[in-house]
Amino acid sequence: MRLLGYESRPTMKSALIRVGAVAGKEFKHLLRDPRVLATVLILPVLQLLLFAYAISFDVKNVPTVVLDQDNTPASRQYVQTYRSSEFFDVLGSADDLAQVDQLFDQNRVRIAVIVPSGFARSLDSGEKAQVAVLSDGSEPTSAQLAQAYATALNASYDQQVVVEWADRQGLDLAQVGAIEPRLRTWYNPEGKSSTFLIPGLMVVIIMIVTVQQTAVTLVREREQGTGEQMTVSPLRRGELMVGKLLPWTLLAFADMLAIALVGIWVFGLPLRGGIGFLAASSVVFVFAALGLGLIISAVAPSLETANISGLLIAFLPAFLLSGFAFPLDSIPTPLQWLSYAFPGRYMVTISRGVFLKGAGFAELWPELAALAGYALVVLLASSVLYRRRST
Amino acid sequence: MNTPMNADALAVQALGLGRSFGTNRAVDGVHLTIPTGMIFGLLGPDGAGKSTLIRMLATVLAPETGDAAIFGNSVRRSPDRVIPRIGYMSQHFSMYPDLSIAENLDFFATLRGVGRAERRRRAGELMSAMGLVEFASRRARYLSGGMKQKLMLAATLMHQPDLLLLDEPTTGVDPVSRREFWRILAGLHRAGKTVLVATPYMDEAERCGYLAFLSSGRIIREGSPADIKAVVPGMLFELTTPQPRAVLAAVTGIPGVRSAHLYGDVVRVLWIGDDRGAAELTSRLLAAGVHVSAVRPARVDMEAAFAFLTESERLIEVAGL
Repeated sequence: MRLLGYESRPTMKSALIRVGAVAGKEFKHLLRDPRVLATVLILPVLQLLLFAYAISFDVKNVPTVVLDQDNTPASRQYVQTYRSSEFFDVLGSADDLAQVDQLFDQNRVRIAVIVPSGFARSLDSGEKAQVAVLSDGSEPTSAQLAQAYATALNASYDQQVVVEWADRQGLDLAQVGAIEPRLRTWYNPEGKSSTFLIPGLMVVIIMIVTVQQTAVTLVREREQGTGEQMTVSPLRRGELMVGKLLPWTLLAFADMLAIALVGIWVFGLPLRGGIGFLAASSVVFVFAALGLGLIISAVAPSLETANISGLLIAFLPAFLLSGFAFPLDSIPTPLQWLSYAFPGRYMVTISRGVFLKGAGFAELWPELAALAGYALVVLLASSVLYRRRST
Repeated sequence: MNTPMNADALAVQALGLGRSFGTNRAVDGVHLTIPTGMIFGLLGPDGAGKSTLIRMLATVLAPETGDAAIFGNSVRRSPDRVIPRIGYMSQHFSMYPDLSIAENLDFFATLRGVGRAERRRRAGELMSAMGLVEFASRRARYLSGGMKQKLMLAATLMHQPDLLLLDEPTTGVDPVSRREFWRILAGLHRAGKTVLVATPYMDEAERCGYLAFLSSGRIIREGSPADIKAVVPGMLFELTTPQPRAVLAAVTGIPGVRSAHLYGDVVRVLWIGDDRGAAELTSRLLAAGVHVSAVRPARVDMEAAFAFLTESERLIEVAGL
């Protein structure tokens, strides 16, 4: 008689009850494991603070020496523009080129501004005045920025000054023209790298937390034998996956919120776009990341393997292939292609677009669509792979 | 295989069930029939295929050959109809260590579709029947071996299955807890449940109504405990000696000795020679210079039958090579 009773197709309600049971149980696991709890709730904010302070592309107070061979009111006025800039820290004046050379060798300065004699005369006669800015190419970030800043300075100095770029350490002169400081500062006028980094950092951190944690979840069920017990129940694999994802989605969401708030309050991150679109995209992204973790979990033979693959798949691509720190246009083409295989790059674009540019669905729908497709594929794949592994 | 006529008369009917792992043929075309209401014991040495067989019947593992019907439903084609009627208890502890007894029971019963009120009632009943009530909120990680096994059995019973598939349910459990566990099984048997239990313990095998002896993936002998014991030919002697290993070595060469093995600190000898076995053994061993304090005839028990069957199976395999 019970046999007949069971033949009615599983109803939606009983499916929801099972999903709820799995989700509730996952929450209990979470709350009872202090390490996981710390990883999920405290680590992200810690990571944010560490990364945001430690990874800085801000260049300020670059030690600079001035060699004024002209020594006229005009040349002194020109040099003064460097002294009053926050970027250059003019330590003093050199007497000759030999001394400049020595200062470079001793690593005491990174920039030397050389105003040759005849500077004032050239200006007076309406010719182009020559100025040399030497930079220490062994530290490319400072060097490139120094050149960019010097260009900007010269432009603001309302005289016709042509800077003759000379490079001590073999920086390609042709590159100089390619540096466009305005591009960098367009949506970030103060040039603060934390503003630029945090929207991406948020994505990286979520990626690490979620992939790492879900990577072990199915492996653990298998190792504990509880996975087998679930097989001997009407629980469908899809229900198991959804039940496992629910608590993590909520937590990842809480993490994103915390990071965003710290970013806004502590680092002065602007939020120019719509919060609704950001939230919706975040949910899709979290599903994609969790699905990636589940795939690892479905195929990994042991907890150790799951942990390490989780780290490799979450950490490295999130860091290197998401465009969070390194522009994706500047990495080798094969790696650019590889970057499409990880959800990070789509979400970094969305996050940065919403926070910094005020972009929304109209501009970012291709990324959102890519993320949605990605999430669907990885979740289905993890479900299929888990079944294959367990029978 | 779906035969509604006798669907509930036969709890298990396996036909040619087989499964390999790599090159190892773990279960090799097993035929098995278990009538409803029986306690059926599965015996056999380690690696004989007991777990694999049970896992296939529990729909946890897909068979490669053959099929099995559980109350008339194929484990291959309609596992959804098999699952509600079975309870499967694996050899290893398979509850969540960080959930309490009550939470584990509740979780698995929820998955099984037992309603909330019913879950609470049954968990209460099972916990009190098994003496687990005072530990209800203790996390499974901190339970003793015996309590862990009882928790698993309780979880298996929450949805009131008609067939219990128990894979060495008392391994690693102290004798008192084992006896208690079997007392619970006896109660289930009286309530009309069918139990298939794999066990390495011969005293447990004696409690089963029917036994199948599995070796190298095949059932080589089945019958009641008396039938199984009857396969042992000749007489059994127990030799008490201060030097059992020396006796074991000396006794194996004697004509009339079918087999010999250590049983605790006595040597058990299966004698298939003439009626004067005791005298013959004593004089032979004296001649060999080993000291034996007593030679006593012993009753053929499950232990002896198990040793005999395992031994003869090994001889067949060696001869087959």
